[in-house]
Amino acid sequence: MIFQPAIIALLLASGIAVAMLAAAAPFALQVIRQWDIASGTERQLLLERRTYLFSTLAAFVMVVQLVALLLFVFNADRMAEMFVGAMCAVGTLNVNPFGFPALLAQMAVFFLAAAWLAVNHVDTRAPDYPLVRVKYALLLILLPALALAFVLQLKYFLGLRADVITSCCGSLFSGDAKGLAAEVAALKPLPAMTLFYVVLAVAAGLTFFHARTRRAGYAAAAASAAAFVATIVGVLSFVSLYLYEHPNHHCPFCILKPEYGHQGYWLYVPLFAATAAGLGTGALQPFRQVASLREIVPAVSARLADLAAFGYLLVALIATYFVLHSNLILIEH
Amino acid sequence: MIELKQIRKAFNQGRPNEYWALNGIDLTIEAQKVTAFRGPSGSGKTTLLTIVGCLARPTSGRVRLAEDEISGLPERFLTDIRRSTFGFVFQQFNLIKGLSALENVMLPAFPTGRPHRELRERSEALLDRLKLAHRREARVEWLSGGEQQRVAIARALVNDPKVLIADEPTANLDTTLSREFMGILEGLHAEGRTVILTSHDPLVVESAAVHRVVSMRDGQLTEG
Repeated sequence: MIFQPAIIALLLASGIAVAMLAAAAPFALQVIRQWDIASGTERQLLLERRTYLFSTLAAFVMVVQLVALLLFVFNADRMAEMFVGAMCAVGTLNVNPFGFPALLAQMAVFFLAAAWLAVNHVDTRAPDYPLVRVKYALLLILLPALALAFVLQLKYFLGLRADVITSCCGSLFSGDAKGLAAEVAALKPLPAMTLFYVVLAVAAGLTFFHARTRRAGYAAAAASAAAFVATIVGVLSFVSLYLYEHPNHHCPFCILKPEYGHQGYWLYVPLFAATAAGLGTGALQPFRQVASLREIVPAVSARLADLAAFGYLLVALIATYFVLHSNLILIEH
Repeated sequence: MIELKQIRKAFNQGRPNEYWALNGIDLTIEAQKVTAFRGPSGSGKTTLLTIVGCLARPTSGRVRLAEDEISGLPERFLTDIRRSTFGFVFQQFNLIKGLSALENVMLPAFPTGRPHRELRERSEALLDRLKLAHRREARVEWLSGGEQQRVAIARALVNDPKVLIADEPTANLDTTLSREFMGILEGLHAEGRTVILTSHDPLVVESAAVHRVVSMRDGQLTEG
C-alpha cells in the first residue's frame, strides 16, 4: 500500500522537510546565540552568508508543505476505492486511528508554514536581517510540529490494510452520530447559514479594512481564524447538502470527488489560501515597529489582507452559487 | 566616503593552499577625490578594489558607504548598490564581443528598466563625450585598445554612479593613451565623482589628477 506514487511523494516531502530542519537546527541555535550584526568578525560574516542559503532552503521546505496538504487530501480521496466500505476520503482516513490526526497535523503545518513564510518574506526585504533570530527560533518550534506530522503520516500509511472494512462518511457526519462533527452537521441550515455569512462578511470586512488603513491587524487575523471555522461548519451543515442535493449527506470530503465535479476544491483552495494570508497578517503585526520594517510590514501585511479579503469573498460567492444552483430546498420562504 | 574597518580576505580558507590576500586593512577613502592603490603584484590591490565595489565579500571586517554598512548586505541589496553606486572599468575591459560599442555601453542599464530611448540617448551622449560617437556602431573587437577603454569607461558611467572603480586602467595603453585617460579622470573628478583605481604605472600615481596614493604590500597598507 505504501508504494503508491502519492504516498511516496508525501512521505518524501515530509521526511525531507524534517531532515532539512533537523540539519538546520544547530545553525539556528548558532544564529540565536551568536548573531551580532554590529560585529565584523569572521564568524558573523559566515553566519550572514549562510543564513541566506538556510532561509532559501527552509522557504522551499515550507512551500512544499503547503502543496503537500492538497496532495494529502487528494490522495485520501483517490484511495477510497481500495477500501471496503470507503466512499470518499473519510473512509480512507478511518482505516486506522492515525488518518484524521495526520490530516489535522498536516493542516496545522500548512498554517504554521504560511506564517513562517510571511515572516521570512519581510525579513528578506530589509537590509539588516531584523527578524533573523525570530525566524530561526520559529524554525526550531516548527521542527517538532513537522516531525509529529511525519510520524503520524508514516504510521497512517504503514497501517493501511486493504482487508480492513472501514466506515463511510455517513456514520461520521450524520446528524444522528456522536462527536463534534456530527453535532456541527446537525445544526439547522438557517442559523448555520447566518453564522457562515456573518463571520465571512466580518472577516472580509476586517481584512479589507486592514489592507486600506493598516490598522486592526490582529483583529483581521482573529477574524480569519473564525472565518475558517465558520466555513467548515457551513460546509458540514448546509453547503454540502445543497451540493449533493440530499438533506442528510453532510460529508465535507465527497464534494472533492469527480462525481461532484471536484467542486470542493473551488471552495477549499480559496478558503485555505485566505486563512493562511489572514493568519500571516497576524504573524507580522508584532514586527511593525521594528525600525527597518516600518514601511515593509504594513505594505506586505496589507497585500496579505487584500488576498484574504478576496479569498473570503470568493468562498462566500462560490457557496452562494452552490446553494442557488441546487434543486434541494432546505429553507422554505 | 568609504570606510574600511579591519578588512581581511582569505582565499581557499581551511585548505592547504589557504592564502590571505588582505590582512587587516583600516582605511577611509574620501568622496569626490581620486585615490590610487599602488603596490607590486600580489599586494592585494585588486582584491581590495573588489571588496570596496561589492564584487567580493571580506572574510572579516566591515565596509561602510557613507552611513550604510554594505559588506554584510544580502545579495539582492548588493546588486542594487553595485548597479547604482559603482561603475567598473576592468583591466581587460571585459567588453562583450559581437556587440557594438553602443550596445556594450547600454547593457548595464537594461536591468534598471529605464526607457530604451532614454538609455540610447544617454549612451550616445557618453560616447560622444569620450570622442567615440563615430565608432558607436562598430563591434568592440574592431576597436583599438584606447577606444575599447573609452567604451569601458562609458559603460561604467551609463548608470551615473557616484564611484568609478578602475583596475590597472593604463596597463594596456601606451603613453599617449594613458595621458588621455588621465584627462578623462580629471573630468570625472570635476563632475564630483569619487574615483578609486589601482596602478603601478608612475604616469598614473605621480599624476596631479590623483589626489591620494595608498601603497600596499603583502595585503597590508604601507603608506598613504
